[in-house]
Amino acid sequence: MSDVRMQAQEVFRQVFDDPEIVLCDEMTADDIPGWDSLTHINLMVATEKRFKIKFATAEISKMKEEGQNVGTFLALIGKKLARTS
Amino acid sequence: MNPSAIDFNVSEVEFIVAVLLAAAIFFWLPAVRLRQLLWACGNLFVLWLVLPNTQSLAVLAVFLGSGYLMARVLRIWPSGWLLASYIALLVVAFLVLKQYAVLDWVLPRILIRDNVLLHLVRITGLSYMLFRQIHVLVDAAQGQVARISFWSYVNYQLNLFAILAGPIQRYQDFDEQWQTLQPVLANPDDLLRNCLRLLVGVVKIALIAPLFYKGWDELQVSLVNARVTGWKFLVEFPVVFYAYPVYLYCNFAGYCDIVIAANRFFGMKLPENFNRPWLARNVLDFWTRWHITLGLWIRDYLFMPMYKPMVERWPKRAQSLAWIFYFLAFVVAGAWHGSTANFLIYGAMQGLGASVAKIYENAIIAARGRNGLKTYLKSSKVRFAAILLNFHFQCLTLMFFSQVDCRDAWWMLRGLFAASTGYKV
Repeated sequence: MSDVRMQAQEVFRQVFDDPEIVLCDEMTADDIPGWDSLTHINLMVATEKRFKIKFATAEISKMKEEGQNVGTFLALIGKKLARTS
Repeated sequence: MNPSAIDFNVSEVEFIVAVLLAAAIFFWLPAVRLRQLLWACGNLFVLWLVLPNTQSLAVLAVFLGSGYLMARVLRIWPSGWLLASYIALLVVAFLVLKQYAVLDWVLPRILIRDNVLLHLVRITGLSYMLFRQIHVLVDAAQGQVARISFWSYVNYQLNLFAILAGPIQRYQDFDEQWQTLQPVLANPDDLLRNCLRLLVGVVKIALIAPLFYKGWDELQVSLVNARVTGWKFLVEFPVVFYAYPVYLYCNFAGYCDIVIAANRFFGMKLPENFNRPWLARNVLDFWTRWHITLGLWIRDYLFMPMYKPMVERWPKRAQSLAWIFYFLAFVVAGAWHGSTANFLIYGAMQGLGASVAKIYENAIIAARGRNGLKTYLKSSKVRFAAILLNFHFQCLTLMFFSQVDCRDAWWMLRGLFAASTGYKV
């Protein structure tokens, strides 16, 4: 498992208070209990802190749209990390 | 300019015929630039129809021109202070142009008397332009607008299909489609479905909506003027109570059906604005189903800027205080709908409903955990009760949205209480 995925998994477990969450690319908000608009923002802020990156409003919003999943979320983190390094 | 400016109506036969004719020739034009030109001509024609005078055009030009320039500046120099200052200026200009009652003590008396300002400058669709402008500016400052041109931006703001009442499309989505303008109705079935949607929209807006509006209007006037009480009140009040929401839904959803279908004829997908709203189980759910693009805008550009800094600073306390920001966001959104107290009350009621929904959800999580919440939400009895409750709450709030005098709305509510319980309030 890649480092980004592992760290993101930890963030998910903390935010949703569920130590059993195992991330896979196809996962969406429907698969994780409690992933609503509010916890979505909590998740984004926790991710920003963990990876020391910043999401724009449009990016946060887009992550909740149809067709988006954990895979696209991890890809966005990877893209942002590549830009900062 | 057109001194007899009209309220542009998308369900009129002339509009539908013009759309179908223009769509028939649209993709015969050999180049994207020519198609854009035809579309822009349509935008200009509608603008001419709805703008009453030259000063309105001048104000609109300043509004759009300054927004475009600011977006360009913010892309290069993303200053939070500049963004906040310009948006504050924009909002003040909006409040003045819409002549909000709150500004009566600031504006010179000459402008307030006989609504002088409203007669001088009247821009149809200004409220939606404000939303789109704020979205573009915030996204530009955050590096989310890859390219922006005046041609694309002006046509985005003045899109004849969305100028009246949305849906609020994102600039990035508009621009991407505007650059290509390819047919999106790939086969005859899609085309037929789109024609059907256009027809359904016309039926909703021109046949069903007026029927309910007439029933509501006549009854509420007689109910209020005659100060009807007793059993007659109990018979007539439900018609007033339920007819307006049906009218509003048919009118707005019908409008959206027409403009979304019309846009698709020209190779552009507008975002959907309705998704079975009366099946929402609480106020927050309702706003993801009713006027969806406004709900998303409220979330992204009102709620998120207030809530996110809170999460950043106090992550553990933020969630339990989120209801405050829901309340504030809905009050502002309510006030945006119009300049009278009705809309402020409507927004406050929506905010209250959203806050209660969030507090209730937090209480269930505290008592049963997230899995407990999941089980609770799965119960069909709970779902049915929640839908019924939310539906009636929405009908109640719409009594104020309907522009009935607030005192009359209050009188009706007191009458309902007295007639059903025997107690007078």
